[in-house]
Amino acid sequence: MDVRLEKVTKAFGSVVAVNDIDLTIREKEFVTLLGPSGCGKTTLLRMIAGLEKVSGGSIYFGDRLVNNVRPGDRDVAMVFQNYALYPHFNVARNIGYGLKVRKTPKAEIERRVCEVARILEIENLLKRKPRQLSGGQRQRVALGRAIVRKPFLFLMDEPLSNLDAKLRVTMRSELKRFHIKLGATTIYVTHDQLEAMTMSDKIAVIDAGVLQQFTTPQEIYNRPANMFVAGFIGSPPMNFLAGTLSHENGPALDFGFTRQPLPAAVHSVVRDLPRGKKLILGVRPQDITLTNPARPEGLPAKVWLVELVGSEKLVDLSCGDDVKLMAEVKAEEDIAVEQTVGVRLNPERLHLFDPETGRSLRD
Amino acid sequence: MRSLLQSDLLDQVRKAGLYVVLLFVTFLICFPLLWSLSTSLKPSTEIFATPPTLFPSEYSLEQYKSLIYGKDMYFVPGTTYRPKTSPPQHFLSWFANSIIVTFGSTLISVVVSTLAAYSLTRFRYWGRRFIPYFSLLGYMVPSIILVFPLFLVMVKLGLTNNLWSLVLGYVSISLPFCMWLMWAFFRGIPIELEEAALIDGASRFRVFYEIVLPMAAPGIIAAAIFSMIVAWNDYLFARIFINSIQKLPLTVGVMHFFEGVHVNWGLMMASAVMMTLPLAFLFMVVQRHLVAGFGAGAVKG
Repeated sequence: MDVRLEKVTKAFGSVVAVNDIDLTIREKEFVTLLGPSGCGKTTLLRMIAGLEKVSGGSIYFGDRLVNNVRPGDRDVAMVFQNYALYPHFNVARNIGYGLKVRKTPKAEIERRVCEVARILEIENLLKRKPRQLSGGQRQRVALGRAIVRKPFLFLMDEPLSNLDAKLRVTMRSELKRFHIKLGATTIYVTHDQLEAMTMSDKIAVIDAGVLQQFTTPQEIYNRPANMFVAGFIGSPPMNFLAGTLSHENGPALDFGFTRQPLPAAVHSVVRDLPRGKKLILGVRPQDITLTNPARPEGLPAKVWLVELVGSEKLVDLSCGDDVKLMAEVKAEEDIAVEQTVGVRLNPERLHLFDPETGRSLRD
Repeated sequence: MRSLLQSDLLDQVRKAGLYVVLLFVTFLICFPLLWSLSTSLKPSTEIFATPPTLFPSEYSLEQYKSLIYGKDMYFVPGTTYRPKTSPPQHFLSWFANSIIVTFGSTLISVVVSTLAAYSLTRFRYWGRRFIPYFSLLGYMVPSIILVFPLFLVMVKLGLTNNLWSLVLGYVSISLPFCMWLMWAFFRGIPIELEEAALIDGASRFRVFYEIVLPMAAPGIIAAAIFSMIVAWNDYLFARIFINSIQKLPLTVGVMHFFEGVHVNWGLMMASAVMMTLPLAFLFMVVQRHLVAGFGAGAVKG
């Protein structure tokens, strides 16, 4: 059963939190709603759950319109950011609550709770209360409460954000594993683009209540639809350089101190644009090559900061008057502060954007 | 080594000194209660004995028996006996009235304040943000200012000399504070818990009594204790609203042991002990929750 959102809107008074979103989540897909804090992704998730009323538009589960269906009747399960475990119930009762409410026989509840506890490796915690558990354990219990009901749709609202970094990495792969094993449709909300990229079948990038792009992680990374998506996805973020279009010797961007030829992918788009049009060039730090400081080739740039992040180095550069770039190079490369290096941009990995609309220009 | 021993000794002396002071202060505070208990266990003849004795030389339940069995204070042998004319004969009625009025007003205050607080924190409507502040404003008015207007209201309602007048009067005092307390408490209960229960399939009502109420229990207990104290200890409203002796609660009833110049101290002290015991016992049982209730409400509110 697909989940279909048609022109879904949510307004709180005069504030429009979710603006006209169209989205179709196919059965068994793992879809992430990704965006900065306050972008409306959690509000959208809550509308799908039935915890918020829809101001406009429709939400369908299959062919069934669910706008006015109570949360308990939608056959969804939700994992909250703060887990929302019932503090006065022990773990077993927490997990089994949904089944008890639906009048499942006691023996059946016990069987299913034990099964889920075994899968999540929390069998020895069944008699404990939530306050006696660690963050990771609570998260598993919250997950167990969702899994035990075998719903058709899982909703997760930043479930990993309260865990420490190491546990987050472990739980990321575990959540993905559960998703594959259970084969249930999952809608996941996060502001962490790394989580989105590693876990999702598809990502819906949302900004200020508006859907920016909805496609696979690979597409989003390689062909971002606009500057917001380009800058949000990828760490470190994409570099943006403002230049003017010139057609001498082929399409290129003029930055004053240098001239960068444009990739073939955009030739047909820029051919009709006037000379001197302002455009934005986007290049990821990973697509910048730094040449030997002793014999710099390409654009000269001065290094003003080098950060070692393990197997890579992040190099802050300044070119020309006030253009700042960040490059990511292998840690072995011998780059130091105050050196002048040559900067070469990979021409096939460049992105072009219209500064007025922010949209990406390509065939 | 020697200085360590010395400082150890000094520590011990300091601790001992502190305990002595604390014991002394405790004794000072508890002395009136001890004296009441002691007097209530003495026969009438020993109460004014000189020198006064803290521990009765002869233990007697004579005072308690008078109250419970309704001893006629005024009966003089040889005269005609008229029943129910003497104060101790009404003691059990007073006790019952106090319990009825306390229980009634507490029940109403707690139920209304809990439901009101839930509504104010969980539903959206105009005014929900400032209603709690208005209710607290009501609590700030001293009851002595309210007593005459309330009396006129009771007259209009035809409730004078009726226990309902006391119940409603105490509700008007305790409800504002109880609502403020419960409102602060409910604000501290995360709404995600209810949302999780709704998604699990529970109805709103089930969420309220299975999830929210158990978590609100410390606040409810604190509100209930506050209401009980207000109702059990009140003298003013009972004095003004009730006329007939058998409808009085304990606070006004026991004043009948003051007969002009003479005071029947034995009966008075026995009454005092019996009035104190129920609330004291209740406090002992729920004191843990009381602290949690007030503390949590304060911190989260």
